[in-house]
Amino acid sequence: MAVPTAAAVLAPGPSLQRRAGLGPWLAVAPMMGWLLLFVIVPTLMLVVISFCERDSLGRVIYSFNFENYIRAFDWKWLKILGISVWYAFLTTVICLVLGYPVAYFIGRSSERVRGLLIMLVMIPFWTSFLIRTYAWISILSQEGLLNAALMGLKLTAAPIGFMYTPFAVVLGLVYNFLPFMILPIYTSVEKLDGSLIEAAYDLGARPARVFAQVVLPLTQPGIAAGILLVFVPAIAMFAITTLMGGGSNPTIGEVIHNQFTKARNQPFGAALGVLLLAIFIFSLWLSQRMRREEPE
Amino acid sequence: MKKHKTKLLAAACVGALLLAGCGKKEEVLSLFCWTEYVPQAVIDKFTEETGIRVAVENYTSNEEMLAKLLAGGGSYDLIQPSEYTVEALIKDGQLQELDHEKIPNLKNLAPEFRNLSFDPGNKYSVPWMAGFVGIVYNSEVVPGPIVGYRDVFTDAHKGRIVVLDDAREIVSWGLATAGIPINDVSDQNLATITPLLKDWLSKVKVFDSDSPKTALSNGDVDLGVVWSGEAAILFNENPKFQWVLPAEGFHMFVDNLAIPKTARHKELAEKFMNFILRPDISRMISADFPYYNPNAAARELLTEAERNNPASYPPGLDVTKAQLFSDIGEQGSKVDELITTIKVQ
Repeated sequence: MAVPTAAAVLAPGPSLQRRAGLGPWLAVAPMMGWLLLFVIVPTLMLVVISFCERDSLGRVIYSFNFENYIRAFDWKWLKILGISVWYAFLTTVICLVLGYPVAYFIGRSSERVRGLLIMLVMIPFWTSFLIRTYAWISILSQEGLLNAALMGLKLTAAPIGFMYTPFAVVLGLVYNFLPFMILPIYTSVEKLDGSLIEAAYDLGARPARVFAQVVLPLTQPGIAAGILLVFVPAIAMFAITTLMGGGSNPTIGEVIHNQFTKARNQPFGAALGVLLLAIFIFSLWLSQRMRREEPE
Repeated sequence: MKKHKTKLLAAACVGALLLAGCGKKEEVLSLFCWTEYVPQAVIDKFTEETGIRVAVENYTSNEEMLAKLLAGGGSYDLIQPSEYTVEALIKDGQLQELDHEKIPNLKNLAPEFRNLSFDPGNKYSVPWMAGFVGIVYNSEVVPGPIVGYRDVFTDAHKGRIVVLDDAREIVSWGLATAGIPINDVSDQNLATITPLLKDWLSKVKVFDSDSPKTALSNGDVDLGVVWSGEAAILFNENPKFQWVLPAEGFHMFVDNLAIPKTARHKELAEKFMNFILRPDISRMISADFPYYNPNAAARELLTEAERNNPASYPPGLDVTKAQLFSDIGEQGSKVDELITTIKVQ
């Protein structure tokens, strides 16, 4: 691309690097301020509250104890966490299997078609995900469109209960997160140098080998980013899982939400939130490692 | 026609705002209320008649409101707590006493709503809307007769039931069935009803407090234990949805308006309270939210169909028999944990 990237513009030249003046600091100040105000301070508050107690009206009483964490390591909360991780894992795998070929196809098509296809991937974002989830409810419900179609075609005699099942939960999650898998992989595929693939073929590699040894390693950063973008938010998602799953299999996001909105127990909710954060940091670390291993 | 009216109204509002802006400082009432509970038409009419602008902020549970109110972030002139939350707030000294002279329309309330246990004599709160929790069933699929909770949670209905996703509610049904007062949520009583609730909840398909009517109306379930207003809407949609107040005992919730002690505009708040107690305004609320209207004068203005909706106004109802929730404080966390535990087992 002819347009210089932001990184190239912002990177200080040699003269600037010698005497680091106020300029660069001023340039990053808004970003640092933003991070401090909306990431660091809230996270610290979360950690502090997780060690506190609360009174009968739910007000936080500042104290220091490990009660909330001791309670959090009970089998039932861990089981809920396990179920949430399992749903997120399934979602990530399905998104990867479905998203990779789509991203590859888009990335390898002509530039005009590419723009159009990427647009089609993005269009659903123009509508709130809640509205799109409600749309799924009217498709999947017993008197919904899908059952009407199946029965109209005489494929089934009685309506099938799609809604309020684990199937519906995973469908809702996959539908919602698929673009987050496609977009980063597409970016990697787009950068892929076609001559490398041709060279591999010229040297006698079969398609499977070209894919495994050339295409896959070169698109690995996109895959890592996609996995992260799907897995992490999918663990904490509670709106889709409640609406599509019927709330009989609570997820960790739902349980945390309940502590704040129903149980008047912010400290316990905060403790669960901190544990979830630890999982996020761990996944981030994993994906960073995966990216570092990529061949340059 | 209606659209033109709205446009004119909007123009009038803008004009009024401009004029008000030119004159003195504009008065703004800050209302902190449930989502989908205060019709926009009511707010617009209030602004139109009084020139007072209303800034609305929403919450989706009493606990969420408590957290925001007590954190002290914003200043709210009016809040909309349910009965047990009013009780807790009074106990904690968080509400201002009302000046009844400023709220003459209190006289429109039905006598049984003038002296409720959580706030005798409406010293601190004005009832907004009341309702019941009961059983709704699709009579085309469920033969009946259904008279109480025991008839709902049977093997025949396994996987065909929706209930409110509300731990306190579910526990209260178990307590009522075991013959225990519904506010007596001691550890021992919770242990007593645990086996019963385990059996019940294993038969439930959907937990939904926000819109339990959706699963019923889509045919995904056949019966449920839900808010009366939801059942009233279902009945209006299709009279096959029958409503029953559980024989084991039923409970009534009462949502209210109250003025927190941190409010900056007590007079405006009282003006709004008086406004919504006017029969024609209260009737507007009933039209959108067909719950049990505590306003006797407003009930007279309802259509026959509205008054005859069995879920809104159960035939042969004796309100004095209804049980009300009282505040259970920290025990709420245990109640929540019990239901979560049963769900994941």
